[in-house]
Amino acid sequence: MDLYAALQAVINGLLTGALYALVGMGLALIFGVMRIVNFAHGAFMMLGMYATYVLFTRTQISPYLLFIVSGIVLFAIGYAIYFALLRPIHGKSDFMQILLTLGIGLICTDGVLLVFGADYHQINIPLLGKNLHLGSHISVNAPWVVSFGIAVVLAFALYLFVMRTMIGRAARAIAQNRYAAPLMGINVFRVQAICFALGIAAAGIAGGLLLPVFYIYPQVGDQFTLKAFVMVVLGGMESIVGAALAGLVLGVVESLTSLYWGNEWALAVDFVIFLLVLSLKPSGIFGRQRA
Amino acid sequence: MKWLAHCLPLLLAGALALSGCKGGSQQETSNTFKIGVITSLTGPAAAFGQAHKNGYTVALNDLNAKGGVLGGKKIELVYYDDQSRPDQAVQGVNKLVDQDHVPIILGAYSSENTRAIVPAVDQKQVPLLMPTATADNVIQTGSPWAFRICAGSGAYATTTIDFLKAMNAPKTMAIIYENTNFGQANGQAMDKAAKANGFDVVDSEAYQASSPDYKALLQRVKARNPAVIYFASYLLDASTLMRQAAQTNLNPQFYTSAGTGFAAAEFPSKDKGAGPYAEYTFSVSQWLPTAQWKGSKEFDDAFFKLTGAHPAYHAMEAYAALLTAAAAINQANSAQPAAIRDALKNINLPDTPFGPIRFDLHGQNPHPVLITQVLDGQYKVVYPPDAAEAKPVIPTPPWNKRQGL
Repeated sequence: MDLYAALQAVINGLLTGALYALVGMGLALIFGVMRIVNFAHGAFMMLGMYATYVLFTRTQISPYLLFIVSGIVLFAIGYAIYFALLRPIHGKSDFMQILLTLGIGLICTDGVLLVFGADYHQINIPLLGKNLHLGSHISVNAPWVVSFGIAVVLAFALYLFVMRTMIGRAARAIAQNRYAAPLMGINVFRVQAICFALGIAAAGIAGGLLLPVFYIYPQVGDQFTLKAFVMVVLGGMESIVGAALAGLVLGVVESLTSLYWGNEWALAVDFVIFLLVLSLKPSGIFGRQRA
Repeated sequence: MKWLAHCLPLLLAGALALSGCKGGSQQETSNTFKIGVITSLTGPAAAFGQAHKNGYTVALNDLNAKGGVLGGKKIELVYYDDQSRPDQAVQGVNKLVDQDHVPIILGAYSSENTRAIVPAVDQKQVPLLMPTATADNVIQTGSPWAFRICAGSGAYATTTIDFLKAMNAPKTMAIIYENTNFGQANGQAMDKAAKANGFDVVDSEAYQASSPDYKALLQRVKARNPAVIYFASYLLDASTLMRQAAQTNLNPQFYTSAGTGFAAAEFPSKDKGAGPYAEYTFSVSQWLPTAQWKGSKEFDDAFFKLTGAHPAYHAMEAYAALLTAAAAINQANSAQPAAIRDALKNINLPDTPFGPIRFDLHGQNPHPVLITQVLDGQYKVVYPPDAAEAKPVIPTPPWNKRQGL
């Protein structure tokens, strides 16, 4: 296996990793910052894919524009779900949140099953056949590059939102001390609702960006829920930057594992890393040790 | 001890009542005849489950139009959706036998799920007719209740090797298989057959079927430079693999495969499969609408009328399974599972649209295997020569020489 093969695998890993990063950042915002254990994360990603799919088949507009619409739709859904379902159990045990989000995930999956059926779908855009060549050894598929670019921009925007805006600061304040924050005049429910909705929108957008190179069926999101949790733990629980980096790392690790050991090991390596981090450095690879 | 003497008759009566419930008893009084079907109507294998259901429906309409079974009883199919999961398939056996009292079960779709239900039907003592599971281990359990309509992984591998030898293919091969029972069994069968015939198996790759990215795997294969690739894949992974094979610029002389995804009606289509990326791939096949067996054309027409699409062999195998079940029930002239099982052992249907059907000592129907190639978006039989409709295009044109991608 020569150097070019490794380089190619790293590039492919980064392209996949950027989408993982977006999913992971969404969960980091919800799970890390808001302390809501969201087991419906993959289901929302699936909703984003279906939203993009439906819009694409109706309008034939490029999915690389339609993801914006599906992001807005998912934001609205997230906002509504927060106020309708999550707010009433605010401050109750984590167990209730877990059951609630698991239930929401099941309802999403089965609802889609009811409306669209179990059949899978895929879309075809001319871009799929385009490959970009970098030198004679490295080539990348154009749709992956486009979605990578969009994912990076959005990830950066999400970072700026959390670090620079008033709402982002408020969210971090709530994460630091959820009892003191409201005393400082922060509207906890509103901030949490926005962050929850944004986290879900990020997952939905990642789904929309993945759609052209993948296929959809109602259970398609399930595998991403677990991966998202791996990323959040790797990234140090409450850091969305950490989750983003962890997404990229996961993509590259999976790709290199596939190249050198075989695809069957890729998922196993993910979870071995997950267990090692949990047991050896629970604050995460990119997380700071908490006092 | 006295209480025991009182209770014993009661216990015996209870046991008798329970055993009486099993199979048959309800069937004999009603004027429909229930047959159990387990398949994957939801989950990743749903496309194949739907093909099953359509095949069964055509057979059901045919049979009931001719008066059903046992002198006028209409057949009723009781479906159980295993959600593409083996644990659910086992649940299906329990439900169909204990609640619906079916005396025979057809199913499941995948090798994984079918292998899982063999011990269950064995325990319930109900015959199982397998339409599509190609992993040979589903029929090698020694269960006297298991019967298989389709050809299996061993026959797939040896026919593919015979074809490659007839084409004078260079003897280096890579095997790429999905990591459940179907892929493993077919991968191992090919490994054995290839090595026995002097092929150098340069690479053997297992993969997870739901992954969005196989490019690293394909790169690995490319580095070993095999002349032949043998895939054992379901549909969604088959499409993704072929698209990404083009992206990786992987150019073996032969893309061969163990059917299934590579033989699905959807695979060469643009909106449900790999479209132009499916072109030139070889696949084993068990049946095509153009097969020479009597009734193939009629099945194709009936299927097209029902669904608006042409069937692949998975639907035909479901059709043949229900046909065989009905014949066995009539031959047994009984709704008892054991009687139907005995009838299946001796059944001999020389003239079905799926070819002759009978079962050997292991419960296997000795069905011949064809090799097809996707040419202009259509499956064409290219081997064996006496069944060939077209000349195979070899070697496979490299991706950069292809039109219309």
